[in-house]
This record gives sequence, C-alpha cells and structure tokens, in this order.
Amino acid sequence: MKAATPRWNTDRRSLLKAGGAFIAAMTTGLPNLAWAQDGKTLRLRVSADFQSIDPYSMVGEIDDILQRCCTVTLVRLPDMREGTEVIPYAAAQYEWTSPTTLAFTLHEGLKWSGDHGPVTAEDVKFSFERLAGSDSAWAYQFEKLDHVEVTDERSGVLHLSEPFRPFEVIALPYYGGHIVCKAATEAAGGQFGTEFPAQCGPYLFDTWEQNAKITLKRNPDWPLEAPAFDTVEFYIVSDDQAALLAWEADAFDFTRIAVADFAGVTANPPANSALIEAPSTRYAWLTINLQAPQLQDERIRRAIQLAYDGEAVLEGVYNGLTSRATGVIQTGANYARAKNIYDQRDVEKAQALLAEAGAEGLTLQLYCLTDQNSLSTAQIIQASLSEAGITIEIQPVEDAAYWALGDKTAGDQYKSIELVLMNFAGGIEPTENLVWFRPDQIGVYNWSSFDSPEYEELYQKALTEADSAKRKEMFNKMEDLMEASGGFIFICFEPYLAIHDSGLKPVILADGHPDPTRFTAG
Amino acid sequence: MSSAADPLPRKTLPLPASLRRLMADRMGAAGAFIVLFLLAIAIIAPWIAPYDPLKINVKAKLLAPSWEHWAGTDHLGRDTLSRLILGTRNALWIALTATGLAGVIGMILGLIAGYGPRWIDGILVLLLDSLSSLPMIMFALAVITVLGPGTQTLMLVIVLVSIPGYARLIRAQVLTLKNADFIQAERVMGASLPRILLVHLLPNVVGPLVIVLSMDVPVVIMLEAGLSYLNLGVKPPEPSWGNMLYDGYTSLRQQPSLVIAAGIPLILATLGFTFLGEGLRDALDPKLQKRLP
Repeated sequence: MKAATPRWNTDRRSLLKAGGAFIAAMTTGLPNLAWAQDGKTLRLRVSADFQSIDPYSMVGEIDDILQRCCTVTLVRLPDMREGTEVIPYAAAQYEWTSPTTLAFTLHEGLKWSGDHGPVTAEDVKFSFERLAGSDSAWAYQFEKLDHVEVTDERSGVLHLSEPFRPFEVIALPYYGGHIVCKAATEAAGGQFGTEFPAQCGPYLFDTWEQNAKITLKRNPDWPLEAPAFDTVEFYIVSDDQAALLAWEADAFDFTRIAVADFAGVTANPPANSALIEAPSTRYAWLTINLQAPQLQDERIRRAIQLAYDGEAVLEGVYNGLTSRATGVIQTGANYARAKNIYDQRDVEKAQALLAEAGAEGLTLQLYCLTDQNSLSTAQIIQASLSEAGITIEIQPVEDAAYWALGDKTAGDQYKSIELVLMNFAGGIEPTENLVWFRPDQIGVYNWSSFDSPEYEELYQKALTEADSAKRKEMFNKMEDLMEASGGFIFICFEPYLAIHDSGLKPVILADGHPDPTRFTAG
Repeated sequence: MSSAADPLPRKTLPLPASLRRLMADRMGAAGAFIVLFLLAIAIIAPWIAPYDPLKINVKAKLLAPSWEHWAGTDHLGRDTLSRLILGTRNALWIALTATGLAGVIGMILGLIAGYGPRWIDGILVLLLDSLSSLPMIMFALAVITVLGPGTQTLMLVIVLVSIPGYARLIRAQVLTLKNADFIQAERVMGASLPRILLVHLLPNVVGPLVIVLSMDVPVVIMLEAGLSYLNLGVKPPEPSWGNMLYDGYTSLRQQPSLVIAAGIPLILATLGFTFLGEGLRDALDPKLQKRLP
C-alpha cells in the first residue's frame, strides 16, 4: 500500500528509498520501479517463487496464497490472532447435519473466468474427491472423506467415513480445500501447474516474472466482499535481511523479518511502521534417526537428548522470543503437553550412558539448511553435545539436497542419516502436525524412522474421538512415545515476526501465510 | 624470450637483486609487508588468539568492541578478534595450499604439453580448454552440491579451476624455449629428458608462474570468502572471513562492527597479495627494470 502523495523525509527510510529508487532505475529501468504510485496496490514480499498452483501438487507458501486469491474455499480461517473457528466463505450455507455429514450451499454469482460458467457443487465434489486417497501430499486432509453428494447445482453434502469434527479445519480452509473448476481442470489433463485453467477469486492472475514478481488484478466479476486493493504484487526475496532493507526502501508494504533483526527494529522502529510478533505454528525439532547404524542403541539417543542445551538455543538463536516446545502441538494450545520427559540437561548422565553403550568418541553428522537460524542452532547443538563427548560435524546443505536426505525415492540415504534439524509449518488441529510421524511417513517426512504401532493406533483413534480431554490424553501420549523413542528433541515453535506499513491492516492465517484478499488500508 | 639470434637463455634476475628491486618499489614493499604480517598471524594464530574462537557464550552475544573484546562478539557470543585471527589461518591455508597445488600440477601438465609429443599436447589442450570453459562459480556450486561443502571440497574446486591457466602459461613458455639453442645444445650433448625439463626449462619458465600465482592468491581468498559467505565453503563452527561477513551481515542492525571487522582482513589480504604480485612482476621481469637502483 502506498500513500497517494509522496513526501520527502530525511530519515533512514527516505534515504534508503531514494537509494533504492536510484538502484532500481539503474538496474531495471524507470518503468519497472518497485513501488506503486496509485495508492491502490498492495505489495507483499514472499520468500520463494511458486511451483504449482494446483491444490493437488502445491508445495509452498506462495502456492497457497495465490490459490487463496484466485480461487475459493468453502470456509476460511480468521486472522491467527483472532481465533481458529472457521468462517463460511464460498458457502452461503454451511452446517453439520450429523457427525458425519456436512451440508453446504454455494453463494450465488460465483463464476469461473473464461466460459466455464458458475462454480458448482460438482466442482466441489471433483476438487475434494480427486485428492482423497490419491498420491497427493494433501490427500491426508481428506482421509475421512467418504464422498461428496451433489444435491443441486450449488448444494451438496460432504459425507465422512467416521465422525471427525476437525475435518472442517484440516481439509476445507486451505491447501487441498481450494475449489478448482472441474471442466477446465479435466480439459487441462486432470492437473495443472503454473497456470490456472479457470479462476474464481477476489483476484485474477495477471503477470509472472519468474523469481522476481507476481501480479494479480482485481476480479471484476467477484460477487462477494470486494478486496481493498485493485492490484496485489508479490516480490520474491529469499533473504530476510535483504527483505527488511527493501521494505525500508519502500519496495513493498509487508514482509516477514528475521529473529536477528527483530530486536534492532523494536529498539529503533522505522517511521510509519508496525510490527507483528505472534506465536506461530511452525515447529522446529532435531531428528535423531533410529535406523542410523550409530544411533540404534537407545542409550546413545538418550545421551543426545540429555546433553542438548535447549536454553542456549532459545537465547542464542531466538533471542528469548519463544519457549521450549513440548512436542509438535503448539505451546500454550489446549492440547499441548505440559512438559518434556527429558527437559533437564544432564551432561554427566549423558556421558555415563555413552560410556555404558561403549560409544565414547562418537562422531555424528548433523544436517541442516544454510540459513542463519539453522546454522546457529546446529553450532549450539554441536557445542552442547561436545560437552558430553559427542563430536558433531555440521553438514549445511542447500534446499534441494536437503529435502532429498530423508526421501526414500532418492535412495537408501534416509536409513543412514544421523541428525537433521527440521522445521515444518504446522496446522491448528494437532493431527495435522502429528500425521508426519506415522509409520507410513518413514522415508517421506518421518526422518527419525520412528515406527510405533501404538502411535498409529492412537492417531487413528484421535481422529474420530470427540471428547477433548480424551484427545488431549491421546496426543500427549503420542508425543511421549515420540520423545521416549529417542528420535526427537523438540526445540520450539518459531515466533512469527513481520513488519508492515502502519496504514495497513494485515490478515495472517494460522499457518503464517498472509491472506491478501483481507488486507485493508487504515 | 630466447631466439636463434640470442643463444643465451633469458634467466630471471638473481634473487637478492630481485628482492632489492621489490623492496625499492613502495607498493611491492607494502604488499610484502602485509603478506608477511598475515602469514605471521596465521602461523602463530593459536597462541595469540585471546579467546577460544569456537567457544559459544550466548549470554555475551553481539557485544560492542571493548577492552575485553577488541572487535566485539558475534551472534553466538564468540570473540570476533579470535575468530578473525583463526580465520586468517584458514584463508591463507586454503588459498596458498590450493594455489600452490594448482601451480605445481599446472606446471607439470604445461611442461608435458609443451615439450611432449604433439598428440599428448593435443589431448591436454583439449582437456584444459574444456575445464577452463566452465564458468568458475557455477562449476564450484555444482561440485559443492555433489560433494557437500567443506574445506577439502573448496580446495578441490580451486585447484580444478586454476590448473588450466597455469598449465597454458607454462606450455606457452616451453613452446617458445624448446627449440632454443641452449636446449638444442643440451639435447645434442645427450642430456636426459628430466635434466632438460627440470634443470634447463623449468628455471626459465617458473618466474611468470610465481607472479601469476601471487596475483591469483587474492582471487582465491575472495572465492573462498564468497562461498563461505553463502555457507558453502568452510563449515561452521570453523571461522572464515566469508562466514564471519555473513554473520555480520545478519547482525548488521544490532552490531555493525562485525561486518567491518570481517571486511578489513579481506581487504588487507587482497591488497597485500595484489601489490606483492605486481611488485614481483616488476622485480622479476628484466624488461621492466625502470626502477633499478
């Protein structure tokens, strides 16, 4: 968002802005200056370019954001700071008619771009049923979906195989919950990649400059609440520090910022800025691979858990902005575990366990990404484990190589990787986070090779259990099992930190993704 | 260059005279001084570092320069000066070893290509041209992706990308000298191949190589720093000027002194080796005797 009347100020931001303008002019030519001049453009920074905008094969943050802008979901979530109850969106009527049936009626007037007609219940059926039971990464969202019954052009009923109330939170508001146009998708071969075959959202996809910028324009045919901005521009900047500098140069209106920058920005807030600091659902942990030859002895894994210095990581890496996680369910949430089993550091006991296991002089490989948070965490882990006599060799790896480490389709390396620093964007329903540690995820996302039939049994029971107290008990037991296996050290839920123009009111969803369709000015 | 009309081989000037000439050149002397200073720091690094450069103390992170920590501390509370000192050792070790190794291999290949049969020359030139046609950074990133980052990978990359240049330099020198009278005379007198190569050719071609090597050291230092900045070079927690620059960059808002501290030795080393290289070129090349005392 940009003020209509530019004004010169002799502050840091103005200086950077002038410098930014000069550099932009020199490098890209004046017509491509980054900031909008009309005051009706919302400019957001995202950290990576999109890969697939098909809900079937989508991967990352921007993939979901683009779908949120150019397609609809039956329901949506409010800003993460305002609760987690779903709000009807494309559904004019939405009601649980029984524990296993959810009836909906779509708003009138929702229509696809091109000649694809209105959005119908048949489109909903197609969108959800093609994911259920498929090989899509988002198939788990529809695990409990039996079928979708179409009752008329705009109405239908979602039939679940068992009672599963969290279905509406897990499946419907995002990712696989985005509705696609049946006719257009089938005409495109059943799936699509970087082009929407048909769109129906507050915005329409306009232009894409690969690895640089994506532009969306207001959809003139959108019948629901109009978005506040005519144009949304996404600027792709992978580095948080660079993004903050660019924000200061007024290159965009909203960006996430690094933990390292937060203290500085808080101490000296730039003019006309507002900060967001909130707990996020992104959880970080240390994977200890039970299958790795050097880690098959439980005493060694336990020694690692006991030697880990959680306080140093929280202070050194996260500046004390977050607390130690007690599992993969967000700290402070109703279902969160009260404490870790091994929450007290005990280096002597770790040394004793290593001696007992005959593992003195143990050397392990710790893989992590090359960002500063990961490297700093890895170095603190290295230092803390060295006190127990474990030598850690840090292996920083780039994104592509990193994600192949635990992938069984990339070879047998997933059996021998030893330690890996990981973090996932979580959901608000605990099963969304616990799903990745099921036995069938070994060689996919369960890089600890944690293989517990009891865990799987509890997971299945928890999916359909309606009693909150019993669910909490099950979830906590599952996290106990994870920790007791020696395959995990829960580090923290990362803080959500962002900066934006003070004249902007952003909406951030529980997964940490912004929802540009609901950003407002003022 | 030797020719039929110039029966005596051109030799580089004897060392003392060259040294005198080098020291007479202010830039060359400054370069030599800086390089010697950095070398001295690298050699005695473990004894002069005031703190353990790897010791993490998160309670003392990002401290400003003070009497206790002359260059402050980094984001993990490690003493920056100690890390700079150890970083000097790592930077010079990588740069000198890799450049030296590449120089030796390049020299051997150049001698073989220049003096050997034409078919060997053809094959070697083809190989060297192929290698040097690869863009250096892209090649480095590809090798690092395959082998993983680390000091050894970094040195391998540097050696591989540097060999062609040195080999071609030596080959060109050998080609101009192989039919010179003094070499012909040696051949007629029945001198062995190793004697011709090592005793007669090598001393005449090694001078330009030394100059190029010294000029390439800063390039290698910058390459190492660049890759380490991207966290693809020296692995943490080992200090490198490059990864210290990265750490400084990520803490720029809180403690700008880190970037300055990490940048100074990089600038010094680059200037030092460049001045030294240029000074050596002037001092060792008889055609550039403008500053002869």
